[in-house]
Amino acid sequence: MTLDQLRAKAAERRQTCTQIKKMIVSRLDLEIEPDWITDDQPLFGRGLELDSLDVLELYVAIEAEFGVALYDSEMAVFGSVSRLADEVNPALRATP
Amino acid sequence: MATVLANLHPEGTVYGEVGDSSVPLRFSESADEYRVLRERAAVLDLGGNRLIEITGPAAVDFAQRLLARDVEYLTSERCMMSLVLDESGQVVDQVLAFGRENGILLESSCGAGTRLLEHLEEHNDEGVVITDRSADLTVLALEGPYAWGVVGRLIDGELASLPFESVVETEWNGTEIIFARTGFTGEYGYQMIVPVEAAAELWCQALEHAGAAGQEALELAMLEVRQPIPRHEATAGASVIEIGANWLVDVTKDEFVGRDAVLAAFESGQGRRTVGFTGGDAIPEAGARVLAGGQDIGEVVHAVRSAGLGATLGLARVDAELAAAGLEFTVDGVEVTTLTSPYIVPKSWSIPII
Repeated sequence: MTLDQLRAKAAERRQTCTQIKKMIVSRLDLEIEPDWITDDQPLFGRGLELDSLDVLELYVAIEAEFGVALYDSEMAVFGSVSRLADEVNPALRATP
Repeated sequence: MATVLANLHPEGTVYGEVGDSSVPLRFSESADEYRVLRERAAVLDLGGNRLIEITGPAAVDFAQRLLARDVEYLTSERCMMSLVLDESGQVVDQVLAFGRENGILLESSCGAGTRLLEHLEEHNDEGVVITDRSADLTVLALEGPYAWGVVGRLIDGELASLPFESVVETEWNGTEIIFARTGFTGEYGYQMIVPVEAAAELWCQALEHAGAAGQEALELAMLEVRQPIPRHEATAGASVIEIGANWLVDVTKDEFVGRDAVLAAFESGQGRRTVGFTGGDAIPEAGARVLAGGQDIGEVVHAVRSAGLGATLGLARVDAELAAAGLEFTVDGVEVTTLTSPYIVPKSWSIPII
């Protein structure tokens, strides 16, 4: 890939991640700017320190915002914002 | 400085100098110790983590000013992880702060105690009492998907299901210890702060239920869940934002050492960002150049062989607009792919405590 193609691909992920961060901050009334949340930081326990009630709120929010139901998914989808982006926008999915 | 448990480590233990400490890197094979940590339960000698007590009437005010997260209401039943920064926003250390009745107890990262202690003493405008407790206390940890079971067999099953970052003072074998639900690797994690004279017995009893794991296995497991490892990631000149450790800083707090610099770095949007990568069999050195589309976009921060991925796993610090998962870069002539964190899904996420 050329540098421009790589930049475009990164921008696509950034857009989805930004949308998720805004949703988290808004739905959970967090007192931080959405961009303060990094793509890779853990969301539960360590990191953003969300709890199981927050998960339920996010299930509803994600379905409303992205039309994706995650109710039966493993907790791993909440491993980070970037991991969540893979779920709500499968075109982004990176294979290690 | 060797850990207080060094004389109990098996023959053949490989030690390494990490900052001011000599710590066990591996007791046998790192890959085996890693598997114990990820699949069962590992016991860790965290004697390289310095314990520093801050007491006196202004202890909480002092800690609140020096730590980047909010510790004003940190009771003796809670602990939290926080960065400690200098005025320029550079990372001095990443600490675990325990609320205490008479102040606060800080646990440094591995080998960083001297640096932390000096920093605290240099900033002691409040006249607090700063005491290095490492001569009389040490830290043992349990990590793994079945670490909760070890807690039950070793101390008390009730403690295993404490909420994350909860702390209790409890008695083990007639000795007062501080027990905390913590965790660095995404697995169930617990720490025990114990008097040095009781540490040997606790270590030996823990080994009846868990396997010993060294610093190499621990740091690999930390990297896999993007738990910051300051000694590798806090490179000279890198801001908190570039390291990606924002979550260890509370910007809603009015004042703390380094706050202005961190906010300036955040608001500028400048600098690089850190992203994980995998690919190839060779382990690139820190500082190896990272290329994208043939152009230099940054450098490798830290890389190891991941037993979990069966491949090289590393962190690269690259131009912010390219710090994203799913891209192909070149490192030392080898194609690598950037990753979404966590790079390994901890088994503990699907195993309940019973």
